[in-house]
Amino acid sequence: MKSALRIGILVVCAAAFLMAGLDLSFGTPAYTDMDDYMLAHGQEETGSNNIVTGVVFDYRGFDTLGEATVLFTVVLGAGLVFRRLGKKEDEYEYE
Amino acid sequence: MIELLVHILLLAGLVISAFMVWHMDDLISAAIAFGAFSFLLSLEFLMLQAPDVAIAEAGIGAGLTTAIFVIAIRGTEKDGGASE
Amino acid sequence: MNMSNLVRSGANIMMPFILVYGFYIVVHGHLTPGGGFQGGAVIATAVVLLMVAYSRADVFASIPKNVLKNSETAGLLLFIGTALLALTAGIAFFGNWLLGAGSLFGTPVAFGINPGDINTGGIIPILNIAVGIEVLGAMGILLLVMLGGMKGDAE
Repeated sequence: MKSALRIGILVVCAAAFLMAGLDLSFGTPAYTDMDDYMLAHGQEETGSNNIVTGVVFDYRGFDTLGEATVLFTVVLGAGLVFRRLGKKEDEYEYE
Repeated sequence: MIELLVHILLLAGLVISAFMVWHMDDLISAAIAFGAFSFLLSLEFLMLQAPDVAIAEAGIGAGLTTAIFVIAIRGTEKDGGASE
Repeated sequence: MNMSNLVRSGANIMMPFILVYGFYIVVHGHLTPGGGFQGGAVIATAVVLLMVAYSRADVFASIPKNVLKNSETAGLLLFIGTALLALTAGIAFFGNWLLGAGSLFGTPVAFGINPGDINTGGIIPILNIAVGIEVLGAMGILLLVMLGGMKGDAE
C-alpha cells in the first residue's frame, strides 16, 4: 500500500517534468542574439581562442568572481564545522 | 551510425551503474559504482561535444566526490562498532 | 589505515602524470578546452589520490600545513588584484588591460581558425592561473579538514 503510493507519486512527478520538457527542441534555443554576438566578436575582443574561457573570464568576469568567493566561503564553513571533532592530542591541529 | 551505437552503450551504462549504486549493500562498492557513473557521464558529455563540462565532471565527479565518499566511509563505523 | 601496497604503488606512479595534465589544462586554458576551475580540480584529484592511498599520519606529515591555505588566499588575491589593476589603466573593472599591449600575454590574436599562440589572451591566462591555484587550495583544504575532523584510526 505504502510502496504503491510512493510509486504513484514518483510516476506523477516524473510525468509532470517530462511533459514540461516535451515541447523543448534540442539544439535550437529561442533567443540567440547574445550567442551570435559572442561567437562573432569573442575572439578579437577577448583575445582567447577558446570562446568558453573568453566568456567566463571576460564577458562574465563577475560570475567567476562570485564563484571564487563561494568556494572561499565553502572552505571557511567546512573549517568551522570540522574544527574540534578530533582528539586533543591529534598531531594535526588545523586552525 | 557508430556514434549512435556509442551513445546507446553509454546511456545503457549510465542506467546500469545508477542501478548498481542503489543495489549495492557494501558502501565502498556503492561509492565506486558512483564513480563509474560519473566517468560514463563525462564520456557522454564528451560525445555531446562539451569538453569543458567533461573535464569538470571527470575531475569533480569521478575524482573528488568518490574520494570524499571513501574518506567518509573510512571515518565512520559499521553497526558492529568496528571501524572499517 | 594504509591501503594495500598495490594501491600505494599505483598512486605513486599516477600522481606526476595527473599533476602535469592539470597544470597543462590551467596554463592552456585560453587555447584548449578547460580552464582554471577544471585544471585546479584535476590537480586537487592528485592530492586526493595521496589522501586515499596513505594513512592519516603520512598525509599530514607529507602535505605542509600552510601551503594549501596560502595558495587559496593567494589565488583569490591575484584574481581580484588583476581585475583591480584595470582601473589604473583607465578601463572598467575586469577590463582586459593587457590585450594587444605587446608585453606578457599581449600578442594580438589572429582572427579565425589558427593553431594558437600561448602568448595571447591578455589577462585571461593570469586569471586562469589565479583560479587554478585557488581551486587547488580550496579542494585540498576541504578534504584535509574533513580528514582531520575524523576520529583516529582504529588500528
